[in-house]
Amino acid sequence: MTLREEVERSGRIKILFFPYGKREWFKKGVCIFDAAKALGIDLSSLCGGKGTCGKCKVKIEKGMKGLNSLTEQELKHITEEEIEAGYRLACQTMPTTTVSVYVPERSRIGKQRLQTAGLEVLVEQLNPFVRKYPVKLPEPTLHDSRSDEDRLLDALNAKYNLPTELDLNFEVAVDLANKLRDADWTVTAVKWKNKIIDIEPSDTSDRCFGFAVDVGTTKLAGFLMDLNTGKVVAVAARMNPQIPLGEEVMSRISHQMLEGQKGVEELQAAVVSGINEMIEECCEKSNVKTSEIYEICCVGNTAMQLCFLGIYGRYVAFAPYPPVLRRGVDIRASSIGLVSHPRANAYYAPVIGGFVGADNVAVILATRMLDSDEICLALDIGTNTEIDLGNKDLVMVDSCASGPAFEGMQIKHGMRAATGAIERVSIDPETFEVNYRTIEEKPPVGLCGSALVDVPAELLKAGLIDLTGKFVSEMAKETDRLRRGLKGIPEFVLVPQPETATDTDITITQGDIRELQKAKAAMRTGAEILMKRLGEKRKETVTESDISKLFMAGAFGNYIDPENARTIGMYPELPLERVEFVGNIAGTGARMCLISKEEREYAEKIATTVKYHELAADEDFQKEYLDALFFPHKNLDRYPDTANLLRRLGRIK
Amino acid sequence: MAENVLKRLKEAVLNYDVEGAVAVAKEVIETGFDPLIAIEQGLGEGLSIVGAKFEAEEIFLPELMIAAQAMKESLATLEPALAKGKSRKVLGKVIIGTVEGDIHDIGKSIVATMLTVNGFEVHDLGCDTPTSKFVEKAKEVKPDIIGMSALLTTTMVKMAEVINALKKVGLRGQVKVIVGGAPVSAAWAEEIEADAYAEDAMACVDVAKKLLSK
Repeated sequence: MTLREEVERSGRIKILFFPYGKREWFKKGVCIFDAAKALGIDLSSLCGGKGTCGKCKVKIEKGMKGLNSLTEQELKHITEEEIEAGYRLACQTMPTTTVSVYVPERSRIGKQRLQTAGLEVLVEQLNPFVRKYPVKLPEPTLHDSRSDEDRLLDALNAKYNLPTELDLNFEVAVDLANKLRDADWTVTAVKWKNKIIDIEPSDTSDRCFGFAVDVGTTKLAGFLMDLNTGKVVAVAARMNPQIPLGEEVMSRISHQMLEGQKGVEELQAAVVSGINEMIEECCEKSNVKTSEIYEICCVGNTAMQLCFLGIYGRYVAFAPYPPVLRRGVDIRASSIGLVSHPRANAYYAPVIGGFVGADNVAVILATRMLDSDEICLALDIGTNTEIDLGNKDLVMVDSCASGPAFEGMQIKHGMRAATGAIERVSIDPETFEVNYRTIEEKPPVGLCGSALVDVPAELLKAGLIDLTGKFVSEMAKETDRLRRGLKGIPEFVLVPQPETATDTDITITQGDIRELQKAKAAMRTGAEILMKRLGEKRKETVTESDISKLFMAGAFGNYIDPENARTIGMYPELPLERVEFVGNIAGTGARMCLISKEEREYAEKIATTVKYHELAADEDFQKEYLDALFFPHKNLDRYPDTANLLRRLGRIK
Repeated sequence: MAENVLKRLKEAVLNYDVEGAVAVAKEVIETGFDPLIAIEQGLGEGLSIVGAKFEAEEIFLPELMIAAQAMKESLATLEPALAKGKSRKVLGKVIIGTVEGDIHDIGKSIVATMLTVNGFEVHDLGCDTPTSKFVEKAKEVKPDIIGMSALLTTTMVKMAEVINALKKVGLRGQVKVIVGGAPVSAAWAEEIEADAYAEDAMACVDVAKKLLSK
C-alpha cells in the first residue's frame, strides 16, 4: 500500500487546486466548494453552494474515479461537452480519493474589484467624428425639382456650411425618398467623417452616443458616452470571455495557431460578445437604444487588436515580434457582430509594436508626456509592465514580463483584489505586531497586490528581512511570528489562524519574497534601461532628478502605497510628490479618442513617434536585473532617502 | 601553501569576490600549483556550497550569478594551463539555449549557471537560437545533454523541431534532451519525445544527474 492509499484509508484525502498550486488534506466527503473556501480560493458562487447558480464550475483533472455521480442540479448547468471534459459543480462534488481541481478563470470572478476608473478625460475640445445635423428641407415643386440627394446636401450646406460633396451611404440612399417624405421633410442627418450614415425622422440631435472600450487581456471595461457632452453616461466591466481560450496573450495567439481560422473566429466572437454585453448593460441602465450608438472606440494591446479584428497573429508571437497593422483601424461595427447602429464605425486605436499596443498609446495620450518639457516616467503595471520615459523631444517605451506575482499569483497566500483580501499591512518595528486592513473589512482570506507591496517594505523596515531579501534568522528570537515552515524554509505569520477566514495562518514565505523581488526587479530594470538609452539619445545622462513626474497606471495602481513601493525599489527614487496615480488609463484613452478627432489624430502621431526598445535583447539587462533584485537596489546611492530611512531604523550602517 | 590556495579559492567564491578568485587563480599558475586540483578542490567545492545554499533559499540569484562569474573568470585563467590530455572532471557536457523566436534569456542563464555550479560543462547558446545552431553545436561539442528553454506558448513548438532535426542527423540517440520554461510541462516533454522536463534550475540539475546515471 502506498502512503497515499494509507492516508486515504484513514479517511483523509488531499485536494489540489490549480492554477493556485494550493493543496490540503481534508476529511473524506468534504465538498470541493467548502474545501476551496477553506483555502481562500475565490471560487465564484451566487447561491452559496446550493447547486442552483451554476457559477462554481471546476474541472477535475485527476481523481475522477473517486467522485459521486453527477447530481440533477449539475445536469442543469453543465453541458455534455463539459461533462466530457471533466467539469463539475464544486458544491455538488464530494471526492473520496485525492483529486486535482482546476478552477477556470470564469469561475474565479467572484467579487473581484474591477477597476474602471481612470484619469478624467482632458480633451481640448469636444469634437467627435459623429455629428448630428437636424434640417428642414423645402418640399419639391415644379420650379424646384432637384434630386432628394441634392436637396438634402444643399440644406445641410446652407444651414451648417457642410461641403456639398459629402458621401451619402448607399444603404441610406436606397431609402432616402421615403424617409424624407415620411418625416415630412424634417430630418436629422447623421454624419461620420465625411459620410452620411443615416437619415433619421424629426430632430434626434440630442440623442448621439458612442461606446469606448478598454480591451484588456483579462478585463474589459466599457463606457457609454454622450457625444454631445463628452460625458460618461454608464460604465460596465466584464472578465474577457476569451480567457477560457487562453489565459494570457501568447496562449490566445497559440489558440489561433492550433485551431486556424476557427480559432481566429472563436476569439473574435468571444471578445465581441463581451463588448456587446457591456453595451446592452449600459444602454439598459440609461435608456439608450443600442441603435443610438454611432461609433465604438477600442484600445487594447496588440494581441487584443488582432483578436478583435479577426487577424491571424502567428508572426507577432515570434521574435522580433512584428505587429501586423500599426495604424488605427476603422471597420464597420456590425461586420464583426458588434451591437450598435447598423452603420456605426468601430475604431481600434494604433499600436506601437508587438508587445506595446494601443493601451500604451493611451498612456502617453492621457498623461501628455509627449507635450511635456520635463522628462516623465510612466509605469503601466500588469503581468506585462510597460514603461515609458521621455518628453516632447522623444519618448521611449519598453515592456517587461513582470509576471503575475503582484496580482497574487505564485504567492502562497496571494489572491486577487476581492472581498476579504488584505490590502494594507504595517508591521510595528518594535513589537512586530501586524496591522492590516481587508477589502470590505471582512475576515482575511489572503493578500492582494497592494499588500504584497507593503509586506516586503514593512519586513525590511522591521529588520526581518535584509537587503538581499533573506529572512534574518536571528530575529526568530525576537518574535515567534518568524518561523520555519514547509521544508524548513522561513516564513512570517501575518495573521494567525483564529483571525483568518480560512483554516490556516496567512503567512509570507521566503519563496514569496523571491517572487516579489523578481517582479519588482523586472519593472525597475525596464526603467533603468530606458534611462540609460534615452540618455544616449539625448546625449546627456538622465538621472532621477531629471524625472519630473512618475505616472503609475494599471489595475492595482491606485491602491498601492507609493512610499512602500519606493522602499522596495519598484521605481527609481523620486520625491513622493512627483508620483501620480492615473488608474485605468487605457479606458481614459479610449474615451478621449472617441470624443475628439484631434485626440485620435494625436494617438496616430504617438504611435509613429514613440520609440520602442527591446528590453530582453538589451546587453545590460542581466546586470541591471541582478542589481535591481536587492531591496531597494544593489546601489544604495541611488536610493538616498530610503537608505536614510533604513539607517535611522538601524537596519543598515 | 597548497591548502592555503585551495582555501582562498573556495573562500573567494563563497564571498562572491570575482577579482579575488581571479587573483588566486593567477597565483596558482605562477607558483606552479596543479591547476586541476585548484579547479576541483578549490573552485568546485566553493561552488557546490553556493549551489546548496541557493537550493535551501539561503541566497538568491545575484549571489548565485556572481559566484558563477567568479568560477568562469578563474577557469579562463586555469584551464589553458592544464597539462595536455588532462581536463577537469565534469559530470557531463551540456548545450543549452532558448529556442528560436524567443528572446527570454535570464531563466535559461540561471539554469546554465546552476548546472555549471554543480559540475557540468555548459555551452550556452543564448536566446533566439535557430534549430540549425543546436544541431551544429551538438555535432561540434558532442554533448551528453541538450537543454532547451521556451517562455512563450508559441515558441514551444520549436523544441519539437530541434528534436526532429537531431533525429534527422542521427544524433538523437546520443544525447538526452531536457526541456523547461514557464509554459512547458512534463506532458509536453512526453509529447515531443524529450527525455525529461525540469521545472526550475534546481530540478534541472537533479534531472541531468539522473539521466546521466542511467
